[in-house]
Amino acid sequence: MYRHFGRYIFLFLKINKMKKLNIQILFLLAATLVSCVDSPEDQTKPEVSNDRKEMLTFWVDEMILPSYVTFEKDLLALKISAGEFTNNPTEASLSTVRTSWVQAYISWQNVEMYEVGPAEKYTLRSFFNIYPADVSGIENNISSGNANLNLPSTYAQQGFPALDFLLNGVAEQEEKILAFYLDTEKGAQRLSYLTILVSRMDTLLNQVISDWNGSAKADFINRTGLDIGSSTASVVNAYVLYYERHVRSGKFGIPSGATIASAGTPNPEKVEAYYKKDISGKLAKTAQKAFSDFFNGIANGKQGLSLKSYLNSIEAKDPSTGKLLSAYINEQLSIIDTLVASLSDDYYDQIETDNGAMVKVYQEMQKAVRILKVDMTSAMSITITYTDNDGD
Amino acid sequence: MFGILMLSSMLRFWYKGWIYQLYIEPKHHFSFYGFEWVKPLGPYTYLLFSIAILSALFICIGLFYRLASIGFFLSFTYIELMDKTTYLNHYYFITLLSFLLIFLPANAYFSVDAWRKPRLNSDKIPSWCTDSIKLMVIILYFYAGLAKLNSDWLLLALPMKIWLPAKNDIPFIGELFSEKWVAYLFSWIGCIYDLSIGFLLLFKPSRILAYLSVVIFHLLTSLLFPIGMFPYIMIGTALIFFSTEFHQAVIQKIGAILNVSHSFLTPGGRCHFSKISQNLATGGLILFFSFQLLFPLRYLLYPGELFWTEEGYRFSWRVMLMEKMGAVTFILKDELGKIIEVDNKQFLTPQQEKMMATQPDMILEYAHILKDHYEKAGFKNPEIYADSYVSLNGRIGKALIDPSVDLAKEKESFRHKQWILNFQDEIKGF
Repeated sequence: MYRHFGRYIFLFLKINKMKKLNIQILFLLAATLVSCVDSPEDQTKPEVSNDRKEMLTFWVDEMILPSYVTFEKDLLALKISAGEFTNNPTEASLSTVRTSWVQAYISWQNVEMYEVGPAEKYTLRSFFNIYPADVSGIENNISSGNANLNLPSTYAQQGFPALDFLLNGVAEQEEKILAFYLDTEKGAQRLSYLTILVSRMDTLLNQVISDWNGSAKADFINRTGLDIGSSTASVVNAYVLYYERHVRSGKFGIPSGATIASAGTPNPEKVEAYYKKDISGKLAKTAQKAFSDFFNGIANGKQGLSLKSYLNSIEAKDPSTGKLLSAYINEQLSIIDTLVASLSDDYYDQIETDNGAMVKVYQEMQKAVRILKVDMTSAMSITITYTDNDGD
Repeated sequence: MFGILMLSSMLRFWYKGWIYQLYIEPKHHFSFYGFEWVKPLGPYTYLLFSIAILSALFICIGLFYRLASIGFFLSFTYIELMDKTTYLNHYYFITLLSFLLIFLPANAYFSVDAWRKPRLNSDKIPSWCTDSIKLMVIILYFYAGLAKLNSDWLLLALPMKIWLPAKNDIPFIGELFSEKWVAYLFSWIGCIYDLSIGFLLLFKPSRILAYLSVVIFHLLTSLLFPIGMFPYIMIGTALIFFSTEFHQAVIQKIGAILNVSHSFLTPGGRCHFSKISQNLATGGLILFFSFQLLFPLRYLLYPGELFWTEEGYRFSWRVMLMEKMGAVTFILKDELGKIIEVDNKQFLTPQQEKMMATQPDMILEYAHILKDHYEKAGFKNPEIYADSYVSLNGRIGKALIDPSVDLAKEKESFRHKQWILNFQDEIKGF
């Protein structure tokens, strides 16, 4: 057993020498590190923190809940104007409800990405914004008068897209739309469906908000890990999923035909707000801005803890270029901002006249998705758990 | 005196129950080059696991030892070869260890075999028997340490700098993991530990301290990282370095509890090998260890960055060395002009997809699975292109695979894969 010992001892001594050398290098390194840490870097970035509990608190208190409160206000205005229109359908009350629908739809773009916690529990997005609207389904529901709107098959028969059809799409001119509701035979049923849709949205949103104000908030703030089910991981998953499926594919890829599944054939009738048409660009711009503000922690003019500050605090940067990952992400987001800003507000028209610009947005968004989905999750040790889109 | 070792390896095997779903559920499996014939056996996979578990139990109590050790080696190796996406270095270590055990007289003392045939019972075995296992452990640690001698690990503290802050919400010590110097400290200690621990265990004066550090080091890694049974296997295996007296003292205690006669525990005999088998064993061991020393170095034969291409990465004791993440979409075109984007979820489990996305050989194998599938579905001579995006140790993602190469036409071999794109950076060192 001890015969080979001599040889081993020799090897061991060699290693031991190496070890001494290593320790010296280690001390040198530690010394340089300490001097680095005290450099002015810290003073320029006061918002840097890797405390996830603080970040989660800022998210829920300054971003998620205030956005819901604003949206609730706009949805309430829609509910009131829809009520007035139902009681007294005139050109004026129709115009008011159409305007408040636009305002609420824009406001919705600021909350759609927060499909975590209560919103995820009630699958808010599925009931609010699945388009294109299912017109024949809507017509069936109006005549039957007793549709079960909780079923997944009815997603496209309710929410903003269904209201888009009811307020803007049932006829060409405003007088004819009004006539649709003044119809002696079916008018009452039509108005009743409109009311059902709006109050259903109101009920669902109130559930989400009251859950957040109940135990959901504390629960959210206290799940500080990064494993599956933790709040940060859930938010990142919801955030990236939203951008990939509902912004990249939903607003641009599918209508422009840029996704491989649509094989280059544009589907302009699949744009968001297809019947209103001239607000699809405004909706997308709002969504894009909300998305990028969330990344940077910008809420009501103030800046707080965010994915950006977290990535900076853990020094997520490319070791070959030394460039911060958050800079890569913001660079890509601003390329997209510029492209989106140059589009027409009417995406239907945009696709008919210059679809290439829509396809270009899709491609740049695809680059952003990859940076977020691969580089950001890798840097944060988060696992993407949602499954890839099968429908686009 | 091998009792404890056996038990630990059997326990971990038993613990592996959760792995069953990995072999039965997925529709497709990734094979090792040259072992494509090793496939899961459907419901009989359970039988395979039962054989392995039973063999491990028999090894543990020392009954029908030779047969059990061969059975364990074969069944365990087969299980490991079934799907490449589940490859782990410590499974490979178990395979090698069980191979060595076939040739060692581990049933010579304190075993059922020795009790059945008292002729076998002896408390002395040739020193090469335990030395060979020690050498294997030293190789494992030392090569694991060598692999850490690179610029990312030592100079940039990557991937520790990425992994540790993720744990900064652990009570009491969590704060520390946000500190940059801790990531450096972990990297350097890990490296020095791996390079030296084998020898420190061998050297008697440092042995107890070294063993304590084995326990602490591995328990700490098991707390921080999802590496399963590996820490416990190493803690168990490292016991081999302790002296014969130590092991005998432990066995005497166990024997006392089990009420085994004193004469059985102190047979005083010596386990003998015939001249021929002694020579065969020596020759075999020299061959085996030459292979073990050279095989991990095969990456030197490939151009490009090892962490990027992973040509020669496996079976080389490279553990927890890099943070690599990727996404890959496959685009399929056929002669009739059909173009589709493949939905990976239709073919692979999330775990398989994750492993495939960063490893070129699996990307190729998957491309061929797709080719076969879509040919059957009526596509004519499909061409398959990979749109890949991979990030390594925080470097911004880049394409790993040349998107203009039709993977359906590429074949797997030990040759360098020309269609892997350049890494565009350099990681210096081993």
